[in-house]
Amino acid sequence: MLNRRCFLAVLLGPAFILVLALPLPPGGAFAAGLEVRAEAFIQSMAQEALESLTQQGTSREERIKRFRKMFNAHFAVRSIGKFVLGRYWRKASKDEQAEYLSLFEDLMVTSYVDRFQRYAGKNLNILKTRAEKGSAVTVFTEIARPDGARPVQVLWRVGARGEIIKILDVVVEGASMSQTLRSDFGSIIRQRGGKVSGLLEELRVKTASLKADAGN
Amino acid sequence: MSWHPAHGRHVRVSTLVLVVFLVLAGGCATMPDPGDPEAVAEFNKVNDPAEPANRAIFELNRGLDTAFLKPVATFYRDVIPQFFQDRINDALDNLRAPVIFLNDILQGELDRALATAARFMVNSTIGILGVIDIATEMGLEGHDEDFGQTLAVWGMPEGPYVVLPLFGPSNPRDTIGIVVDFLVDPFNLWASNSNRDFAVFARTGSRAVDLRAIHMEALDSLEKTSLDYYATLRSLYRQRRADEISNGKGSANLPAPGLGQAPLDDGQPPPGDGIKTSEKTSRIR
Repeated sequence: MLNRRCFLAVLLGPAFILVLALPLPPGGAFAAGLEVRAEAFIQSMAQEALESLTQQGTSREERIKRFRKMFNAHFAVRSIGKFVLGRYWRKASKDEQAEYLSLFEDLMVTSYVDRFQRYAGKNLNILKTRAEKGSAVTVFTEIARPDGARPVQVLWRVGARGEIIKILDVVVEGASMSQTLRSDFGSIIRQRGGKVSGLLEELRVKTASLKADAGN
Repeated sequence: MSWHPAHGRHVRVSTLVLVVFLVLAGGCATMPDPGDPEAVAEFNKVNDPAEPANRAIFELNRGLDTAFLKPVATFYRDVIPQFFQDRINDALDNLRAPVIFLNDILQGELDRALATAARFMVNSTIGILGVIDIATEMGLEGHDEDFGQTLAVWGMPEGPYVVLPLFGPSNPRDTIGIVVDFLVDPFNLWASNSNRDFAVFARTGSRAVDLRAIHMEALDSLEKTSLDYYATLRSLYRQRRADEISNGKGSANLPAPGLGQAPLDDGQPPPGDGIKTSEKTSRIR
């Protein structure tokens, strides 16, 4: 672990400084800088997950608390939440939007806290990075599985604005988290006569039951 | 709704009658208001015109799963040592190789066809009838293909979403794929030509248990965390198939949330979130 971190630091450090030091033309060179930053960002998040989520003897409540902090720090929660609600975002009142974002955060944190542990530390291996339209990049990773089965392919869509860098979407074996949630929430809203309040009701029930869950 | 002739004859008549009844009773999804272009666009994107009937079959499949498949798969996962589970999985994978090879060829993927053929030869001999996937150990990794994917590569559209009895999420293109793969599979041909239909049952049954056990954790977690399990699986099925068709190369091209012109979320509660601000802050820090 330490070796890998050192190796990365040695590898990425000079590249980072080089990119910063050069008078940058817009476009290509700038994007390359973002690719390096995005990789370092994903790598350090995996390390953070290892340190804060996988310790023995930590209660689930404590892990949820720590993961909530990580989730808010590293994910573009508001942007993802808006995308997931799609066209219904505009139809929601200000109060509904606010409650939705809060419940959405709760749902993400309680759903992913147990799954996210697997993305910790050396389980995550960065394969390559590709620049996307706008100031976004996709970091291609594979996550090792404990039983030695074929690793899981996970893509991280990362966006940047200035110094801030955040995850926009996670794509696991071709299935996008935000796309899937959008289908899920959209279906509920349609069943509730196009009303966001119907979705909020179901989200309240779901998040309450997930919080109470023992997390097995 | 298309039927699956090869397997259809194995399905109990009573189940058939029930399914037909449910399909007729379920009918079709309610059309959106044609004056609302966004609703119409959404309806077309969901592409599930027989949704009520599909949901009925989905619930039927879920009932059968809860009653039969899941208990057996749970027992298999918890009681049979992982080593033997892996051997069974390898053997079942190896049996699929001829069909994968054929579809590699039909898709014009000659390198992949050669890899499949080499794997089949190595695993069927040194790997003792496929029980040990020696080829992967030698660096010759396997992949999956099916005729549904071949039709997609040939340009056939998927058509509307369909939930098949027993087989689960599908569409007309993949339904044709299941039938064709079944009919050309040398193992099935051998079994039916030599009056060994039980062998087909045994293989299909073991495959169902094997796959159900492998996906147990993921499915349980999805069922627990999704609001609408049906809609979640519908979306996942389409995304997974698109990924498989492109052999894993297309998944980065999905539309995703963008930071766009919106203020970049920095983890602070959005303005107007007055109610929960203090609670949220205290929760985080």
